[in-house]
Amino acid sequence: MEQLLDRPEFQSAVIPFFLAMLLYSGLKKITASAWIWALFAAFLVSASLINGFTVTPLTGTRKIILLVLASLILAGLAPYLIQQVKMQRAAAPILTLLALLWVFGKVVARMEITAIVLFLAGGVGLVLWLLWTFDRIAHDDSRFHGAGFSLLLGTGLSATAAASALLGQLALSLAAASGGVLLAWVLRGKATGPGRVSASIGTLPYVLSAALIGLAAVIFARLPWYALIPLAAIPLATSLVPVKSDARFFNALFNSLPGLIIALAVSVWVWQAESSNSSGY
Amino acid sequence: MKNAILIASLVILPVNTLLAASYTVDPGHTYVSFAINHLGFSTMRGKFDKQSGSLEYDHASKKASVTIEIDATSIDTGHDKRDQHLISPDFLNAVEHPTITFKSTAADWNGVNLVSVTGNLTILGVSKPVTLQVNSIKCGEHPFSKKQVCGFDATGSIKRNDFGVNYGLPAIGEVLDLQIELEASMN
Repeated sequence: MEQLLDRPEFQSAVIPFFLAMLLYSGLKKITASAWIWALFAAFLVSASLINGFTVTPLTGTRKIILLVLASLILAGLAPYLIQQVKMQRAAAPILTLLALLWVFGKVVARMEITAIVLFLAGGVGLVLWLLWTFDRIAHDDSRFHGAGFSLLLGTGLSATAAASALLGQLALSLAAASGGVLLAWVLRGKATGPGRVSASIGTLPYVLSAALIGLAAVIFARLPWYALIPLAAIPLATSLVPVKSDARFFNALFNSLPGLIIALAVSVWVWQAESSNSSGY
Repeated sequence: MKNAILIASLVILPVNTLLAASYTVDPGHTYVSFAINHLGFSTMRGKFDKQSGSLEYDHASKKASVTIEIDATSIDTGHDKRDQHLISPDFLNAVEHPTITFKSTAADWNGVNLVSVTGNLTILGVSKPVTLQVNSIKCGEHPFSKKQVCGFDATGSIKRNDFGVNYGLPAIGEVLDLQIELEASMN
């Protein structure tokens, strides 16, 4: 059993997928935030297995783990804490930008002024773009989770190819959890998306995790920055799919497909670029 | 006048013997290398290509101290892709923590020779005490530069998870064997 828990595929795929699916199935009748708590539990278990249950030394990666967990708690409590949509829309970008500063501030401060400006422009632009595009699909479960699943899958595979299995596994564990929720929703769920009220804060778990892990893979590892551009287009691509079927399976399939194609294409491209740099490893 | 010189010599001499000579580490003849178990099959070896530092050493007064700074990004295991992985957040996280340092805090002499140096090793911003066994020392005049030079060979072991380098445990070894071969010229 212990040997299984040490294996990356169990840590970041099998365990979060089944844990999220089971928890979502169990909680969906109790709370509309079932998907959030399912993701929270799955990510907590995965991150503990991948990173060890420790926050010291408080590296950028560990800050990301804490922030993703905090964003999930906030998303779960937001409908009760901040009921005004306007307040949520204002709070989401501010919280995300503060998170960016906390994770990358120390490293960015050591960079040259041009790099700082590029990071600020790129990082802030990425966050605002993801918040806006996820907000547009937050009312539609299949699009919302399909985009979250695809974006995190692409981010995770690309980060792994760019020499950080740790960042990659964190993103993949969230993707697997999101996939588990999506499958449970397809099989026998009911509409449980974040809904209008918690739209902005409700999108934070996907936005924050994808943006932080993607930017960390660029800054701390060597993911080419331009790989984030097609990945960032995933929520928009998902929103453009014209299919609106009564069958959940087809909804989930067709709405996830454009994002999956982009995610896999970017991952293969980064993988090939990295493979051409050196011999196999 | 002669008496004044004699008195001055008597005063200065003990002070000189208490002050250890200062040396600067010669990066071209200093090797910080390591070995770690790989999946239980083999031992993976590597080294760092850039390091700097200084030391104070005086055999007569039994004084020794050393400071070494290692550029984490200069890790070299003979495999570029593995080196990129080793400097990523999975292991050394070199963008956030570009420098590994060792600062000695105590030196142990067996009466005649320096046998070990204890100090704080800092990796990922975490400092832990580490003792390096000194296997050999040679000090003398460099045949070409005519400078006073000292060479040291020291070894030690650390547990990488003590420093928060947890990735890949237990498949990739927990214990990292260190070897430091250092040459330094007197300032």
